Amino acid sequence: MNEILTQEKSIYIQIKEMIENDILRDILLEEERAPSTNELAKLYAINPATAAKGVNLLVDEGILYKKRGIGMFVTAGAKRKIMEKRKQNFYNDYVKSLLAEAASLGITKNELIDMIRNAQMGGKNYE
Amino acid sequence: MSKLVARDITKVYGKKEVLHGIDLELEAGKIYGLIGRNGAGKTTLLSVLTAQNPATSGSVLLDGQPVWENSDVLKHLCFSRELNFGASNGIGALKVKEYLRTAAAFLPFWDKEMADRLMEEFPLNRKDRLNKLSKGMLSMLTIIVALASKAEFTFLDEPVAGLDVVARERFYQILLEEFSETGRTFVISTHIIEEAADIFEEVVMVDKGKILLKENTMELLDRSFHISGHEEEVDRMTAGLSVHHAERLGRSKGVTVLLKPGEELPQGFDVDIQRPSLQKVFVALCGEEAQV
Repeated sequence: MNEILTQEKSIYIQIKEMIENDILRDILLEEERAPSTNELAKLYAINPATAAKGVNLLVDEGILYKKRGIGMFVTAGAKRKIMEKRKQNFYNDYVKSLLAEAASLGITKNELIDMIRNAQMGGKNYE
Repeated sequence: MSKLVARDITKVYGKKEVLHGIDLELEAGKIYGLIGRNGAGKTTLLSVLTAQNPATSGSVLLDGQPVWENSDVLKHLCFSRELNFGASNGIGALKVKEYLRTAAAFLPFWDKEMADRLMEEFPLNRKDRLNKLSKGMLSMLTIIVALASKAEFTFLDEPVAGLDVVARERFYQILLEEFSETGRTFVISTHIIEEAADIFEEVVMVDKGKILLKENTMELLDRSFHISGHEEEVDRMTAGLSVHHAERLGRSKGVTVLLKPGEELPQGFDVDIQRPSLQKVFVALCGEEAQV
């Protein structure tokens, strides 16, 4: 929750992802109260409406839920839900673009698999 | 209190018309950012909205009631002006405490406790004379008056001018705290767009005496893109879209595109797509003729 906001992405998306990251890293636990819109607004010096938009996206996805009069809470099972969603995003954002870039550099499938193995073994450069 | 509405405001100084038929609606419970180039008419607009300056024609109404010389309405408005001292006005000789006492006398909802607290926060010496204060200190004083006014509609003209970064960040925090607690409406003009962009729920851009745009900041940024690549490819992709501020270098070209409702960015072109900041969007819209 204490990352620095960047210019690259919409602020509300960043707020949403930071809460997700905190859930993934057990900084925020399931059934625990999530930071309020006003707390987020103050911490990041952003308009509360922007913070609310990020928080509401998480409510729509079932990651957070509202307890009337108390605030937002992390849903039980939220962590697994985020991991599944991120896996799908990983496939779309990383794997597909990895293949596209590999194709444009003329890297074959076998070569690519070799590279991944090499990187996993801690190889600094690809020979 | 729900709405401050300006209808067809014009303002003429001598032979020069500085505001041309401005229509503007400000809803209660929002923070508005007012941005525009030097001389665009921001300060004149703010002073007309708050009845510190008569419009040449047009009207300003708060929930249907005219603001001009109407104390029932004016008590809900506070315009904390930038302080500068010409040779002709004597307020430079006032002490800080005298200025605050004057503000308290004119602002019916004045919160003395808050003013005292902010005097500690932004260290100002009560005994100093205004014409001895630095630009940053004068900004602090106008901020204190604006916040402690507790007016439903509060207008600040370049509140952060001359403030150091730490004081600016602190100001935004205090502003958001006050906004969260009270839901007062704030209208803030600034040239430091980059750092204030995230504060504004809506942004109002003024250009050459007209309202160029008034929009939810998030929605404006969501429909703004910077497209760059080979000139021909960029032109093919952006044909028919609303394109601003083209820049060229050799065969490469970069443009800012603002999608209209229902439009989508065409896919399948070999270009780089980036999200511009509010400042970039502003320059793209207002800086056009500065280019050669």
